[in-house]
Amino acid sequence: MFKVAVTLVVTVGLAVCCAVIAVLIALVASSPTKGWSGRSLSLLDPTYASKYIPIIASVSEHQPPTWPSYFMDINVLAFLVPAGIIACFLPLSDASSFIVLYIATSVYFSGVMVRLMLVLAPAACITSGIALSEAFDVLTGSIKFQLPGVTSNAEVDAGETSSDAREAQTDEVKAEKPDDTSKNRPSKKSKKKERELAENPPAKATAKAKAEKKRLLALPLEASVISLLLLVVLGAFYVVHSVWAAAEAYSAPSIVLTTRSRDGLHVFDDFREAYAWLSHNTDVNDKVASWWDYGYQTTAMANRTVIVDNNTWNNTHIATVGTAMSSPERAAWEIFHSLDVKYVLVVFGGLIGYPSDDINKFLWMVRIGGGVFPHIKEPDYLRDGQYRIDSQATPTMLNCLMYKLSYYRFVETDGKAYDRVRRTEIGKKYFKLTHFEEVFTTHHWMVRIYKLKPLKNRIRGKAKKSKSKTSSTSSSKRSGTKKKNPWQ
Amino acid sequence: MVDALAIKGKRKKTTSVRLEVKPIELPDAPPIDTKYFTIYLANPLNSGESTTLEVLYVFTHFLEPFPAEIAQSESQLVFYNDTALILSPYHIKQQTTFIKTPSTKVESFIRMEPTNRVGTEIKYGPYEDRPPYSISPIHVHFENNSPFAVVEELVQEIEISHWGNIQVTEHYKLVHAGARHKGVFSRVDYQSRQSSNGASSFRYLLARLPPRVHSVYYRDEIGNISSSHLRTDSLKNGRRFIALCVLNARCFDYSVANVVSSFMIMHLHLNAAFAIIPVEAKSELEIEPRYPLFGGWKATFVIGYGLPLQDFLFESSDDKRYLNFTFGCPLIGMVVDKLTIKVVLPEGSTDPSPVVPFPVEHHLEAKYSSLDVVGRTVVVLEKKNFVPMHNSHFQVYYTFKPIFMLAEPLMLASAFFMFFVACVAYIHIDLSI
Repeated sequence: MFKVAVTLVVTVGLAVCCAVIAVLIALVASSPTKGWSGRSLSLLDPTYASKYIPIIASVSEHQPPTWPSYFMDINVLAFLVPAGIIACFLPLSDASSFIVLYIATSVYFSGVMVRLMLVLAPAACITSGIALSEAFDVLTGSIKFQLPGVTSNAEVDAGETSSDAREAQTDEVKAEKPDDTSKNRPSKKSKKKERELAENPPAKATAKAKAEKKRLLALPLEASVISLLLLVVLGAFYVVHSVWAAAEAYSAPSIVLTTRSRDGLHVFDDFREAYAWLSHNTDVNDKVASWWDYGYQTTAMANRTVIVDNNTWNNTHIATVGTAMSSPERAAWEIFHSLDVKYVLVVFGGLIGYPSDDINKFLWMVRIGGGVFPHIKEPDYLRDGQYRIDSQATPTMLNCLMYKLSYYRFVETDGKAYDRVRRTEIGKKYFKLTHFEEVFTTHHWMVRIYKLKPLKNRIRGKAKKSKSKTSSTSSSKRSGTKKKNPWQ
Repeated sequence: MVDALAIKGKRKKTTSVRLEVKPIELPDAPPIDTKYFTIYLANPLNSGESTTLEVLYVFTHFLEPFPAEIAQSESQLVFYNDTALILSPYHIKQQTTFIKTPSTKVESFIRMEPTNRVGTEIKYGPYEDRPPYSISPIHVHFENNSPFAVVEELVQEIEISHWGNIQVTEHYKLVHAGARHKGVFSRVDYQSRQSSNGASSFRYLLARLPPRVHSVYYRDEIGNISSSHLRTDSLKNGRRFIALCVLNARCFDYSVANVVSSFMIMHLHLNAAFAIIPVEAKSELEIEPRYPLFGGWKATFVIGYGLPLQDFLFESSDDKRYLNFTFGCPLIGMVVDKLTIKVVLPEGSTDPSPVVPFPVEHHLEAKYSSLDVVGRTVVVLEKKNFVPMHNSHFQVYYTFKPIFMLAEPLMLASAFFMFFVACVAYIHIDLSI
């Protein structure tokens, strides 16, 4: 009875497991990329993202790293890692071969995407730790070996046996040279060797061989002491650099910018100013449209619903927002109105020279929007392949919503509309907004918030039709007025 | 309209004698929506004698912005509704009313003969022989661009610690209660042509804090607000004298925006009285909200600071201690719609009793803070419609046995002691069978 029950349970379990595995295999096989997500595919083929999914290519952390970024991130370890790899080969065990594989693959992948420096970091630490540990071994061993009055060679425990230790000395010297660390130096061992040989009665051959091997590896005392100190200083510099990099590069809150001027610290708190304004002076149910970089910040600090945020989960939705930003005012108004947006938020750094503003990110908006909506074509916004916003810019660029919202009334600040980030005067200086109105701009013009203007009640020139349409909704109005602009 | 709180301070011509004022109920009064206050004279008045009284009324939310919504470049116009004759249950032999506006721009005003307007002053009267309870409504529509800053709600928490520190935390909800802002806010207009744009908006607020204040912070829900300046007086002897010129005639105190203080007197006295008033050293905190406040815009923030205990805590005669603190809002010239002051007494204090010079609602709460076993008693005082004239001192009396100060250190010491004894016992006790 018991055996029957056991077999029953086992067969049922196996059947369920097989079914689950079959379902999984079916799911994986049915997806076009066989279960690989876009991000991981772009690791294998770095051009994949820029061809098919521009939103992945647009993230700055997905770009390949530059050489200086290696030194910035792992500093001293950059030249200790190769030494560690070599040290892993002597002797090659399971653990050390795993380390070698780990470091090799992580170096490759970090070269594809700078974000994966995170993966390289532990591998680099381990290998350079191995290298440093081997170096310390040799140096401390040679110091210990040469300390006056220490007969350490007599107490060496049995190591390998060697019958022709003396003849093999010269060979070993030559053979051991490439195995030693880079700080190997020719030593004056001969005098010491003879003295010890003389005072040491013929002990076991193993002990002698070991002692002589150690003698060969022994570096001069002063050299090893100085090298030891230098290695410790190297470690100290590495710690100092890491602390500095963590403080300056990785802890800077990108939401509050500071500059040091002659009269102290100048703080640009514009982001928080805009979010505080939004949270206090707009209705709770109002929706804010901006580029996805500011989504989480707006949700957390301004407590308003956003259209797209940093999760970048819905590519089509982001492409819709990108299309709206790249379209002329009326088309953008219609897109935003269909999304029930009330406020549009734009980041503009031209007045103070803040380089990560929306005009610099604009080409990615075009590419991402164009990836889903084919009427947005990137060459329309480039003049001779160059991205410009000055007088040589294309008409599509000068009429798109992002240009207008960023530079609206910018000319009145200094009379010439000189954009400090692009270092040029802008192309179209005097224009009016027809479908949006400016509701807030922060102190240094970094964040500009616009409100969608509501539809007018009557449409001029269509008085007869509008009477019969008075009860119709605004959507039918929008679809029926393609020929005449209802807001003029 | 007259639902505001009125406080009284009366002075005779040269000797300021404060007369007592009490609100009373008159059951047989005419059915106008009014409140009645009785003024008790210093000496009883015999027939044929005369005396001079000076009455100060303060109303809040009295000026009505009209138009109710203005654009950025327009200036703010307000309505002032009042009666040309004083509403009085006594027979009026002769009366004159002066209304002083902050600038010469007056849109319109109702004429009630004889009416005269000179510069910033409108004179109604003199009116002779009016029966009691006679009113003649007038209104004045004038320009008033002073900042209408109103604190909707202020919660001030004063925590007393007998280890030498008083920690004060204030939560503000600030709103611009003037004409609402409609339409576009253009930063370029605001920054370039400031005189004509955003004339009724305000950027800076000044708070007066006691001297020897430390660890001042100014933040809101998002984080620290970096735009503030603290100036502390470094006067050692702590006493300064300023000359205050009091014109005991009519005036609007227009620097205090929607608070109307009108001095009305029975007989015309045009003398200026100079008073030398001693002023203690103060610290001034100038704060700037994150954005300039236009009509209808709100801001919330938290100001906190620490004060030394010996300035504020004293011992009274019957072995009770009392906290002597200023009742009110440190922000100068601010109307507070709802003011809540919570005084957190140290643990183990009993018998709390507040003494406040004007009527407030009060009740007790309990607050549990760090290392609290029984909870701390909190005396909560609530007041509606607070104006700066209310800025007087209040006291909270309580008894506290000094032995309770040792409660927390003893608790901590015994906790650690027990823990170490337990460790020692565990190591040394052999629990094997």
